[in-house]
Parts: sequence; C-alpha cells; structure tokens
Amino acid sequence: MVRKSNNLMHCPNLLLALVVVFLLSACASTAPGPSGPQEPEVEARVREPARQDSDGVQVFPLQNPAVKELLADASAAEQTGDFGQAASYLERALRIQPRDPEILQSMAEVQLQMQDYEQALNFASRSYDIGPRVGEICSRNWRTISVSKEYLGDSSGSAEAEKKATVCMNTKPRGL
Amino acid sequence: MSKRKKKTTARRKKTNSPKQRRWFGKIWRLGLLLTGVFLGLMLPWVVYLNYQVTTEFEGRKWDLPSHVYARALAIYQGAPLSRADLELELKSAGYRAASQASRPGLYRVSGNSVDINRRSFGFHDGFEDARLFRVRLAGGKVAAVSGLPGGQSLDLIRLEPAEIAAIYPLQKEDRTLIRIGQAPPLLVTGLQSVEDRNFKHHPGVDLRGILRAALANLKAGKAVQGGSTLTQQLVKNYFLTHDRTMARKFNEAIMALLLEAHYGKPEILEAYLNEVFLGQQGAYAVHGFGQASLFYFDQPLDRLEPNQIALLVGLVKGASYYNPRRHPERARGRRNQVLASFAETGLLTEAEARKQAALPLGVTEKPRTRGTRYHAFVDLVRRQLAQVYQEDDLKTEGLRIFTTLAPSVQEKAQAAVTEGLNQLEKRGLSPTLQAAMVIADVSTGEVQGLVGDRNPDRAGFNRAIHARRQIGSVIKPLVYLLALEHKQDYSLVTRIEDEPLSLRQSDGSAWSPSNYDNKSHGEVTLLEALTRSYNQATVRLGMNIGVKHLVSRIEQMGVRADVEPVPSIFLGAVELTPLEVTQIYQSIAAGGFSVPLRSLIAVQTAEGNELVRYPLRMVPQPNREAIAVLNYALTQVVEQGTAKALPGLLDKPGTVAGKTGTTNDRRDSWFVGYTRDQVAVSWVGEDDNRPAGVTGSNAAMRLWAGLFRQLPIESVDLRMPDGAYWLWVDQNSGLLTLEDCDGAVQIPFVDGSGPTQSTACMSARKDDEESFWRKLLGKKKQ
Repeated sequence: MVRKSNNLMHCPNLLLALVVVFLLSACASTAPGPSGPQEPEVEARVREPARQDSDGVQVFPLQNPAVKELLADASAAEQTGDFGQAASYLERALRIQPRDPEILQSMAEVQLQMQDYEQALNFASRSYDIGPRVGEICSRNWRTISVSKEYLGDSSGSAEAEKKATVCMNTKPRGL
Repeated sequence: MSKRKKKTTARRKKTNSPKQRRWFGKIWRLGLLLTGVFLGLMLPWVVYLNYQVTTEFEGRKWDLPSHVYARALAIYQGAPLSRADLELELKSAGYRAASQASRPGLYRVSGNSVDINRRSFGFHDGFEDARLFRVRLAGGKVAAVSGLPGGQSLDLIRLEPAEIAAIYPLQKEDRTLIRIGQAPPLLVTGLQSVEDRNFKHHPGVDLRGILRAALANLKAGKAVQGGSTLTQQLVKNYFLTHDRTMARKFNEAIMALLLEAHYGKPEILEAYLNEVFLGQQGAYAVHGFGQASLFYFDQPLDRLEPNQIALLVGLVKGASYYNPRRHPERARGRRNQVLASFAETGLLTEAEARKQAALPLGVTEKPRTRGTRYHAFVDLVRRQLAQVYQEDDLKTEGLRIFTTLAPSVQEKAQAAVTEGLNQLEKRGLSPTLQAAMVIADVSTGEVQGLVGDRNPDRAGFNRAIHARRQIGSVIKPLVYLLALEHKQDYSLVTRIEDEPLSLRQSDGSAWSPSNYDNKSHGEVTLLEALTRSYNQATVRLGMNIGVKHLVSRIEQMGVRADVEPVPSIFLGAVELTPLEVTQIYQSIAAGGFSVPLRSLIAVQTAEGNELVRYPLRMVPQPNREAIAVLNYALTQVVEQGTAKALPGLLDKPGTVAGKTGTTNDRRDSWFVGYTRDQVAVSWVGEDDNRPAGVTGSNAAMRLWAGLFRQLPIESVDLRMPDGAYWLWVDQNSGLLTLEDCDGAVQIPFVDGSGPTQSTACMSARKDDEESFWRKLLGKKKQ
C-alpha cells in the first residue's frame, strides 16, 4: 500500500510534466496571426529603399569574422523562415559584439518578421542610438521604426520615422 | 442416482483395492488443499511483487536529474581571453591538460598556443561534433584560431559549456542515461559474457546458472560465484538491501520472472546498463555505465577502449571493493580477469586481450566535480526556472538547462569578494563582514556571475538575491535623472542650494539631513552635488520634483520598490537586493534600453528538444537623452567625486562610471559601477544590520575594483543620442563658452536645457570674428 501511494504521487507529476511540456511547446510553436509583414515586406519596405537611399554608401565599422559568420547563419535561417533560429544566431553575435548596429538592426528585421513590432522598434532604436546615424543602416533603422509604428497604430510616428529615413544621407547628427 | 452409480463403477474398474482408493483420495484432497492455500497466499503476493517491480521499472525511466550548464565560451580572433582564463574555462568544463590533445576532453599548452580537443556536444541551438583546434593567444586576446591538423583558419568555435550543477531527485543518484543502441557492442556482449552468459535465453532465472554456481561454490567450499541473472541483479538494484536471505532471493527470482514476462530483453538490458551501482561520489551514488564512464574516465561511454570497458564490467561485482582509485591493484586484477573472459568468449582476440591487459587503468585522478559549484548563481537559476517549472520536474525530468554564467567571470568575482574582505579585515574591519556581488552584461542583461556569501562554497543565505538592505546614496542618480528629465528647469550646470533644511515627517517629527562631512556647501551645480553625493542638495532637489515620481521611476526601471513615499527615500531609505540594484543600473548603463536580468538562455528535454527559450527582450526607458547625460555625470563620480580613488585601485586605463553608497551609521557599503559592456554591484555589511564601519568607497568599491582589475575595461560610450549634445561651458558660471577660453569644460545637455548666454571670452571672440568678416567682406567690396 505504501508503494501504491508512492505511485499515485508519481502520476500527477508525470501528468503535470507532460502538461508543462505541452504548454511550452505550444508557446514555442504558436504561429503569430495571419496579418502582418512577411519576408518580402521587410525586403520591400526596409532593405531595398535603404539601399536606394544610401546609393551604395556603406558606413559600417569593420566586422569581426566571427560576427560575419553568425550574421550569415542568421540570414540563412531567415531565408528558410526559421526566425527563432535566426534570432538565436543574432543573440550569439550580440554576445560577441553587444553594440554592433548591424547585428541590432538585423535583429530588428527578424523581430519585424516575427511580428513582434515592439521589439523590432526597440532593436532598431538601439541600433540607431549607438550606430553611425547616417547611411544605409540609418535608413534601415528608421524604416523599421516606421513599419513597426504603423503596425502598433502610431501613424503619425510612422510617417515621421519614414521622413527621417530619407535624410539619413545628408545630415550629420548633433550628438556625435 | 443412476449417474452416480455409473461413475463408481468406472472408478472401480481403474483402482485395484478399496484401501488403495482411500489412500489416493486422501492425497488428492491434501493436494487440492495445499494448492488452494498456496494459490490463496501466493497469488496476492505475486500480484504485489508484480506491482512493485513494474512500478519501479516504469518509474525509473523518469527519475533523471536536470543538468545546469554555464554559457558556451565563444573563441574567435580578437576575443578578450588570457591564457589563464582559457585554462580556467577548460578546467571548468572538465578538460585535462595532457602532452597531446589526442582525445576529446584533453588540451595541450605550448607557449602561447593551446591545442584543444573539444568534445561533441548538443548546444542549445544545435549539435556540434568533436573538433581539434589550436588557439594562439597574445596580449590578453585571441590572436588566431585554426583547425588541426590542417591549420586552416577558423572564424568561430565554441567550447562546450561547463556543467555547473545537477538538480537531483531526493535519492541522491546521478545518471547519464544511455540507450541500448548507443552502448558500445563490447559492453553489451562483454557484460553478458561475465555476468550472465545465458541472458538471451533464460526467462529471468537461469537454473543452469544456479547449478553451475552451486557446483563451483561447493568445489571451493565457499561462495565464489553467484547464479544471479542480469535480470535478478537489476531487481536487486531496484530494492537495494544487503541481506542474503532465502526469502529475498525468492522474491528477486519471482520479480525477475515477472519483469521478463512484461518486457523485452533489450529493454531490460537497457535498464540494467543505466541502473547498476558502479561507485560512490560523496553523497551521490554513481549508477549506470554512462555515468560511471564520466566518473572514472571523464569520457563518454562510446569513447572507451576495451580495457576501460572491462574495468567497468568488472566493477559490477563490487564497486567499492574494486574501486580503481582506492585499490588500483585489485581493480587491475579484476579488469584483467574480465579481459580474459572477453577473450575466452571470442569477443577479443587473445593478442588484443593481452595488449589491453598491459595498459594502465587510465582512471582520472579525481572525478569531475558533479555537485553544484556556484550555489549562489544556481539559486538564481532555480528562482527564474520556478516561474515555469515545478521543483519536482527539475529533479526528475532530466532537463538540460542552459544558463548565462561565465565561469571565468564568476571565479574572479568570488576571488574579489573573498580577497577583498580579507583585506578589509587587515585594515581593521570586522571579520564577520558579509558581502554580495552581481555582474551582468550591460546590453544583454545576462548575469555572468553572482556571489552571495564571503565564502562562495557555502550554500546558505544568498545575499545577492535575498538580502534587502537600504541602498543609501546609490539611489541619488535617479533623483538627478528626474531633474534632467525636466529640461526646462535643470541641466548639470544648474545651481542648487546645499544648505541645512528641516522637513516634517508623517509622524510629525522633524527630519534634518546632514552631509557626510557634516558641512553645507552653499550653491553647487547638479553635477557637483551628485558627484560629491551631497545630501542636503539632493533632498532639496528631490522635494522640488516630488517623492512619488522617484518611486514610480524606480518601478519603471524594472524593480518593485515597496516603500512609503517619504522624503528619506531621496537618500536611499529604500531596501533593495543587490540584484535589484543591478537591474536599475543596467538600464542606466545601457542608455535606457532596459533588459530584465536573466540567468537562463534555454531549457531542453533530456533528448535535446527545446522546451523554452529565453530571448533577449528590451524595455525602452523614456527620456533616453537624460539617461545619456546622467551616464556622463556618473563617470565624473569616478573622475572627481566620491569614487575618485577607483582609478588608482584599478590601475589601468578606461572610463568607468559608478556611484558609492553608505547608509546610516555605516551599516551598508555599496558600490555600483559599469564599463561599456559590464555592470556590477557590490555590497558589504553585517548580516544583523549592526553598524559595520563601512562606507561605499572604503569597502564595496574595493571589492568592485578587485573584480575589474581582472577584467578588460572598455570605456563607457559617451556619445549622445538624438535629443542631447555636448557644449563647451564655463565651469564657474555655467555660461556658453569656447574651447580655448579659460575655464572651458565640455558638458552634455538635454536639447533645450543648455545655457543661452555666453561668457565674455566667447562674446569678445564673436565680435572679433564679426569684425574679421566685416573687414574681409569690406575689402572684397573695394
């Protein structure tokens, strides 16, 4: 009888564990809602216009090869739609260079595709704050902020950010 | 009637005489009775045993301790890494120095080069194979990483993380589960050749084996052989009792038969491989070959050589009697016996067995530490895990828990605390002083190290996460931040009064704060008042802003401050833990991008499937331009304020920001400081909160310096974000000036808070310039 009660103790644990595992896996795999930008939108609304704004002028600091490798891995994961894995690579890159504007902006774009607009906004803002604040990356920063704000319902903020993106090439920010 | 008659006639035909008939009838009835009694008693007993053994068999599959891993060290060209740190990280991950890095788990140091044979490992984001590579170090950095033997350059490689703790089930057993398919074939067959040659065929009990054993024992005159099958041994391991009674043997046999009836041979063998007792490490029993392989050889099972497998198989007979660390000769004898048995059954050739028998035991000197190494940090891990998991799951589910701990940073923090307190004792402070320290990555909020006791090996009260103490002047930067956020009223050069003041408290009594030096300093700038930590100026400033704002600002920074909004809060009458203080300063150090401090990266199942990931998430603070200005002010605390002794203690270049804190009667000493990439908090005081004679700069700051002396210091980034900028101002008047005017200093301002008037020097220069242009233009006109 002693063993029996022991066993009964085991069962709820097992059940509980399974429930926890189930709930967690549900959390992890819950796909975001159907509306929102898909990959092409990030390409069409952030990257491509930023390339045009900057007219090919790059002002990135030289990148560490380890970071380059992780960015390439992240980009490959992003291509296959595995944004969680892409974010994971970018986090590893951030552990190496926590203040690299390119990594932060890439993370912002991944967040955008995961439809986490708040985080997309945050990462892009941080990238802008510690980044060059000029050139292509500046434009990507503001365009990401603009798209995020649009989805967050801040249309005037979105329009303002869009405007800022276009002046990334001809202003030197004051704080530098 | 007639039927009965018929029957009797039929019986009569069979039996010879009435006497015999009666005799048989008696036996028959007795037999029936005995069978009935036997079945009546035995059946429930068998059902009971069946229940016990199947419960155990099924239940054991779940009882796996969770394993807690440190962060994986990334190695790449340019990574800040000294040789000492690399060796520390290697040792922490269970690597051993050797003359050749010939096997995974070994490394070889030669001058500035370290060859590392990395083990294969399932990282939280993917499995990576074992790999041999060379790291060249120079000037505290990784100069190059190359793969061996080819020497091709590698961009990035990571060391598998150190296991820092295992969260055990109550029975204090440790296991590294293996699947039957992964077990080396020699182990599977060899074990049977030594322990149970008839395993494949018997039903759980081997009568021939028992006979053989009995014969051998009879011959020897004592018990030399056991006839137990592997199944019986498994049962014995489940219900470890040492009595050798017939009753126990009988139960074991029944349960063995039952197990075989329920489960297949491979399942039983797999359970055996994971269950058999093979050693003892302190309080923890080593069960199963997977664990034993790590325990004795520090290698995964599939890497073992035949002689090593033979040693483990030999230990089945008596793990403590043949303990290879304590009785190497006995163990060697037993191992070679097993090797001979392998040869006899054709598992090894005679020559191979002889060759293997000549090899040394190859057992590591000491087993790798498997208990918890960093209690204080693991406490934090448990606390953060508890938000998702039940304690019982942690103890039985075999979860793989990936954390943010950086072993080399943790070790340095521990050393800084222990040595720092010893130094304080030499300087006349109490030997009972306690301390806590937390260090985290500024940008990611990952906790890299945490110390909760002056003796880091002690697992008890964890001050870093549980000691709530008044934080004193450590709160002041938030008062000044609130002021800077009112850009129309305040900038760092705004003058405020540092004069005696008296405030009425809620109980009606008067409160008159005094300064640390018991003097008042008259009109001072915000910058001076903060860097020199003037109390009277701070309270006056705070009263203009409002105490409720301060409480809500603390909460905005991610810390729940459970306080009455009374003016004494401006001087730090708020009780917070070192971890909470770290959270507040992470926000400031990261320029307003708060990240909830985290100790967890991911949790996986025992099989390596991801259960949950803890991603980096930021919570932006309002008025980041004011935070940037505050950052500058905190570098001035170190440059010219209450922490100006710090650069001398650190004795290396780099701009550091920080704030000291001392509470009433010198009960608590705080120091919070940060570089560009790391933020750390240290606290020193007495557990019972009695006056300890400590101040922020005489105690906690020394501990902090002890830590950062050992770490690379990247200067705090003082670039201003949009909405703030640098201006040259006159340090006395606070007026706008020019760089080359006397008394010019460069100070950051929130947009709109800067001075509008200029100094005479600047005005004169402007006049000069204007006349220069006038002349120039005038000339051109002519």
